[in-house]
Amino acid sequence: MKRIVSLVLAICLLIPNAALAADLFLAQAANFTPVLKEIIPLFEKATGFQVDATYASTGKLYGQIVNNAPYDILLAADEKRPDKLYADGLAEKPFVYAKGQVVLWSANKDFCGDDWKATVQNAAVKRVSIANTETAPYGTSSMKAMQAVGVWDTVQPKLVFGQSISQAFQFASTGAADAGFCAYSSVFTEEGKKGCFTVVDEAPPVVQAACILKSAPHPEAAKKFVEFLNTPEVQALKLKYGYK
Amino acid sequence: MDWTPLILSAKLAFWTMLLIPVLASPMASLLAFGRFRGKSVLDAIITLPMVMPPTVLGFALLVVMGPRGVIGATWEDVTGDRLVFSFSAILIASLVFNLPFAVQPLRASLEKLDPRLLESAAVLGLSPLAAFFRIVLPNCLGGLAAASILVFAHSLGEFGVILMVGGSIPGQTQVASVAIFEAVEALRFNDAFLMSAALVPVCFAVLMIINKINARRT
Repeated sequence: MKRIVSLVLAICLLIPNAALAADLFLAQAANFTPVLKEIIPLFEKATGFQVDATYASTGKLYGQIVNNAPYDILLAADEKRPDKLYADGLAEKPFVYAKGQVVLWSANKDFCGDDWKATVQNAAVKRVSIANTETAPYGTSSMKAMQAVGVWDTVQPKLVFGQSISQAFQFASTGAADAGFCAYSSVFTEEGKKGCFTVVDEAPPVVQAACILKSAPHPEAAKKFVEFLNTPEVQALKLKYGYK
Repeated sequence: MDWTPLILSAKLAFWTMLLIPVLASPMASLLAFGRFRGKSVLDAIITLPMVMPPTVLGFALLVVMGPRGVIGATWEDVTGDRLVFSFSAILIASLVFNLPFAVQPLRASLEKLDPRLLESAAVLGLSPLAAFFRIVLPNCLGGLAAASILVFAHSLGEFGVILMVGGSIPGQTQVASVAIFEAVEALRFNDAFLMSAALVPVCFAVLMIINKINARRT
């Protein structure tokens, strides 16, 4: 019995070490997850580096970074926070790595047509999910689209707010919300393929910027990764997932 | 500064505290006095929300209470309203989440009850119902009070589960913990601080009350 306990304890002690052994630690805004999951193995193959990534909302990652989280690169969902990190001397100069697009997604194929405005105003659509309009750039962009076409006031009572664009999609994909303002990239996930979507042209593109952190534990690997983001392979992946 | 989330949290905590004895008492009695097969399984099921990550529990509840889930579909048939993202939804989630926190202290106080008291009552001709009101209830009042107050404080701080089934709708499901989280994310640290500052003394007072009750019992 004692031996089993010691063995289990030993294993538990070893596991975190394995996770810390990565050569590059990325902080990634949730919406880019499907693309990054494809980019990482390519990068690992090309360079031999081992990459770990954490996926959360840009706001949460920013909060962690200003409190000394040991990330190498922040891949944000906006320009605001990388700019702020740069201005505060916490990061290198930011660069744009992707431009995202908002879509209206629904698990119910009856709710998709050419006109997303009609869908959100449809009486049968009782709940519409959207990312937090204050902290999630996709939420802000979705809100601007609704304001631009003048449906913000009528749709607002139907809105349910996810903390990130991923949660907005989660609400829609479980059917808890009848439709949701999601990132184009979520359409390409396993769940996303089960539903249908309409591109929200009125939503301003979500300009996503990244920056290498000044406190990066692995600056060399970080530099390599940034270069890798400009390769044709990655460009093709971005296009595939609806980014420009 | 908008205080609605705090009021909403208080409302949620109050309703949870009020309704939880109705759910928890029968289960606690069953666990304390029942002799049946599968008792340890029932015990484990009731205790499960205590150890499961709130986000996992929340996601399960989101699916079950969504319009395609059993509870959500039935609710929509009966009331005509959508269950998820409503106050009822976060209240149900809160009850499920808090159940073990109420059942355990209640069960403990029931198990401490001297069986000879109930035997004497039966010998003296007291009906089981009368015995419940005149012997079981007064003896377990402390446990009941401790359970209710603990659940009240616990509901005030609820986060993960509510985040999943609530959808953060201001005035309906945006409770204090969610509002604080959002304020921090939006870098409105001052709002976050003020709301937290309002919550902490309430929770502290609640814990002091529980300590008082427990001290009187022993």
